Amino acid sequence: MKKEAPTLRDLAETLVAYARTSGADEAEVSVSDGYEFNVDVRKGRIEQLIEAGSRVCGLRVIKDKKTAFASSSDLEMGTLKRLVRNAVRRAELGNPDEFAGLAPLSKERVDASALKLYDPAIAGLDSKTKIGLALATERTALRDKRITNSYGATFASNEIHSVLTMSNGFVGEYEQTYCGLGVGLQAGDTDNRVEDSWSSSKRHFKDLESPEAIARKAVERTVRQLKPRKIKTQNVPVIFEPTQTAWLMGFLFGCVTGTAVYQKATFLEGKLGRRVGNERLTVVDDGLLPGKLGTHPFDSDGMPSRRTVVIERGVLKNYLCNYYAARKLRLKSTGNADGNGVGPNNFYLEAGTVSPKDIIAGTKRGLILIRTLGHGLNSVTGDISRGAFGLWVEGGEVAYPVSEVTISGNLGRILEGIEAIGSDLEFLSPVTGPTVKVAEMTVAGE
Amino acid sequence: MKKQNRSLLRATAAPLPYIDHFGLSPADLRGVLQLALASGGDFAEIFMEYRTYDFINMEEDIIKETAEAVSIGLGIRVIRGDRTGFGYTNDLSLDKVRKTAQTAAAIARGKAGAVPPPALRDRTRATSRYIVRHPAHKASLLAKMALVREAYAAAQAFDKRIAKVKAHYSDSLKHMCIANSEGLLVRDTRPMVKLVCVAISEKDGKRESGYWGGGGRVGVEYFRDVLTPRRIGEEAAREAVLLLGAADAPAGEMPIVLAPGHSGVLIHEAVGHLLEADFTRKKTSVFWNKMGKRVGSELVTIYDDPTVPSFRGSYNIDDEGTPPRKTLLIEKGVIRGLLQDKLSCRLMRGRLTGHGRRQDYSCAPIPRMANTYIAAGDDAPEDILRSVKKGFYVARLSGGQVEDSGKFTFSVSLGYLIEDGRLTAPVKQATLIGTNIDILKKIDMVGSDLEFGLQTGTCSKDGQDVPVTDGCPTLRIEKMTVGGTS
Repeated sequence: MKKEAPTLRDLAETLVAYARTSGADEAEVSVSDGYEFNVDVRKGRIEQLIEAGSRVCGLRVIKDKKTAFASSSDLEMGTLKRLVRNAVRRAELGNPDEFAGLAPLSKERVDASALKLYDPAIAGLDSKTKIGLALATERTALRDKRITNSYGATFASNEIHSVLTMSNGFVGEYEQTYCGLGVGLQAGDTDNRVEDSWSSSKRHFKDLESPEAIARKAVERTVRQLKPRKIKTQNVPVIFEPTQTAWLMGFLFGCVTGTAVYQKATFLEGKLGRRVGNERLTVVDDGLLPGKLGTHPFDSDGMPSRRTVVIERGVLKNYLCNYYAARKLRLKSTGNADGNGVGPNNFYLEAGTVSPKDIIAGTKRGLILIRTLGHGLNSVTGDISRGAFGLWVEGGEVAYPVSEVTISGNLGRILEGIEAIGSDLEFLSPVTGPTVKVAEMTVAGE
Repeated sequence: MKKQNRSLLRATAAPLPYIDHFGLSPADLRGVLQLALASGGDFAEIFMEYRTYDFINMEEDIIKETAEAVSIGLGIRVIRGDRTGFGYTNDLSLDKVRKTAQTAAAIARGKAGAVPPPALRDRTRATSRYIVRHPAHKASLLAKMALVREAYAAAQAFDKRIAKVKAHYSDSLKHMCIANSEGLLVRDTRPMVKLVCVAISEKDGKRESGYWGGGGRVGVEYFRDVLTPRRIGEEAAREAVLLLGAADAPAGEMPIVLAPGHSGVLIHEAVGHLLEADFTRKKTSVFWNKMGKRVGSELVTIYDDPTVPSFRGSYNIDDEGTPPRKTLLIEKGVIRGLLQDKLSCRLMRGRLTGHGRRQDYSCAPIPRMANTYIAAGDDAPEDILRSVKKGFYVARLSGGQVEDSGKFTFSVSLGYLIEDGRLTAPVKQATLIGTNIDILKKIDMVGSDLEFGLQTGTCSKDGQDVPVTDGCPTLRIEKMTVGGTS
């Protein structure tokens, strides 16, 4: 990969120059070169082994305040130049948009090497080691007699080299790695199956959880659901495990993007500077945390990554914007441009001080949410309604598992009704959070 | 490296289009297959794809942006017993293709079989299920923009409570060519068009959204003859406005009536996925030990049919080159069939049904649904509604999910309360949950009015997205849990 580095950059710079001579007022070209390894093992045997390299090029041209995009996995110069010419021509047919245009060249630069995005150890792993990790993870899990079937274990790794060049003079380039190891399991007989999985995903190989730890968590998460009950419909406190806080934060992210705001597609439109949750709630987007999954030196507008406080002790402080949304809303870009939209960096709910154990112990009756099924999220209204699996809490202790129920509520009311935030924040995914206890949601069952 | 003019779409009809797009001759392909089998694989396959895509986005009253995408690449698969080796590349030089074959071949660690792969025979059929008079890729960008503008304007003009509108148009043309070690060489060129509209309504600080759209493996004439942009815009706006007056959904178990068409999502989730052969082969599906057994009421008969002309989920050949057939999954409540791909079929000694699909060249094929539906029954739709004293009517569904145990959900974007056999108040979004082997038994009335849902659906499995269609007549479910708040 390394020896091709000048080629990607040359290609990108050549295309930006070509776009300008083809009539574009402004142009931006990104090129990435990726290598992927993926092995799935099941019941002690390799099921599928994937190894591949691929490249993709994306471009944006602006002419007379009109924008056109193109992308290609065919990096032959003839094809790319044709796409540039087409894009300029298509731009001419669109409507002018006073907010269109590249972000200005930022004076600030983030040093990519300080962000610890690339681990040479991943590039150096041989296939045998990677396959061995997957096999060991599944083998450990299957030793538990309560496990009755396996979805298999997977080891995956990626190496990606990205270049972004813009006609305003911006040139950015960095390399990053990812690796992941996980296993999915079933317990119970055919007509009473329960399932769950656990996986670890990191940028650095040494940070990956061990096969034993992953297997243990996957087994524990699966078997605790055995012999579930369906409960009566009622309103109760709901405790979100961190994996569940992650989707709640994902939903919140979709409601605080500048794009959703100008499209009026979020219930948080018009709430900047206002209280949207209680005092306990602080939510941050941070693109600079070294080695984390959502960390990058710059966004797809070429803006340097930064840390943005989105909600501070319950008050909505910032919408997350790419340059376009920022301009439209008369705000500042927060370095969240992602292709043509807005994407999270490390978007997380700040940890509290209570341990998850104490949160459960302090709950007389309620539901610990451990998994959900289905979508049921509406950012326009904030409404939530999803299929749920959980653990029933009675007198501060887990009493029995619950399934085939739904949880419903409204994100706005959930943010106001957060009763406790756990101390267990881990950056398992780019969008994340610790255990959270919500005062009340409707659990529909019988 | 050999210089290849592989990506130029030629205007003239060429006798061997795969040469034009991919720069590989049948002799090259056979050589690559031979190399792929060099370590003792049982089966090798090359999947080549060249796809062009166009996109138009209108919001804030302007055509805000357009996009064009070109995707070219090739995936090589080698199977040895139950093991699959897979590699892909978007560099189609013969050198790189041979390396990809060697990567895939590494899954088998032995010697090549005595017999080299047979010569490739082109089995491409002349007939097509894609009903196209005016191909989208030949229509002018201005004409396509006019479709988007029409949908947008119709939504905006529908009601003064419409606050925002978005409309997107996309079309794609996928040329594919499959060669395998059984001597198969087959091509398909698949068109797809889609026009959707999202409308957001606003009243007294309260907002709701509506969605509508259509398309399929058709030409742009579809938007004149079958579903007009105006109707797409109006329906999106109608839903958004209707929801402004909607009450919170009820919570708890109650009788359910499903509207025809969209409710096919229920069958897709509750039945279709768990009859995809891989889940039965691995015994993770609740259905794995129930072939030939009764799992639902006598009224339930379910098919998956990839051969319906012009539907989104249809194809001339599946992504392994198999001609598909209409497949009976459940007959009068009894499981009769599975959706098969080549791998599961080999290992289960089953019969191919033509349901091996993949998102694109970078993915290995897996068993998937195409157009799944529950067959019409005998009940008049109005009798079904009239039979329910108090219940929940599902008018619009927006999606669902299932796990292998048979627990499934589907999300209702618009519902109504049923009181004394009549629809009364509209109600908002709610998710319904149940277990398939329980719910299928509780389907106690099936209408005569089979319809199909919007031609905009996409199904995700193992990270691969493929276009699908679902269908369903009016149905009654004795009771099911509704996840509302009131």
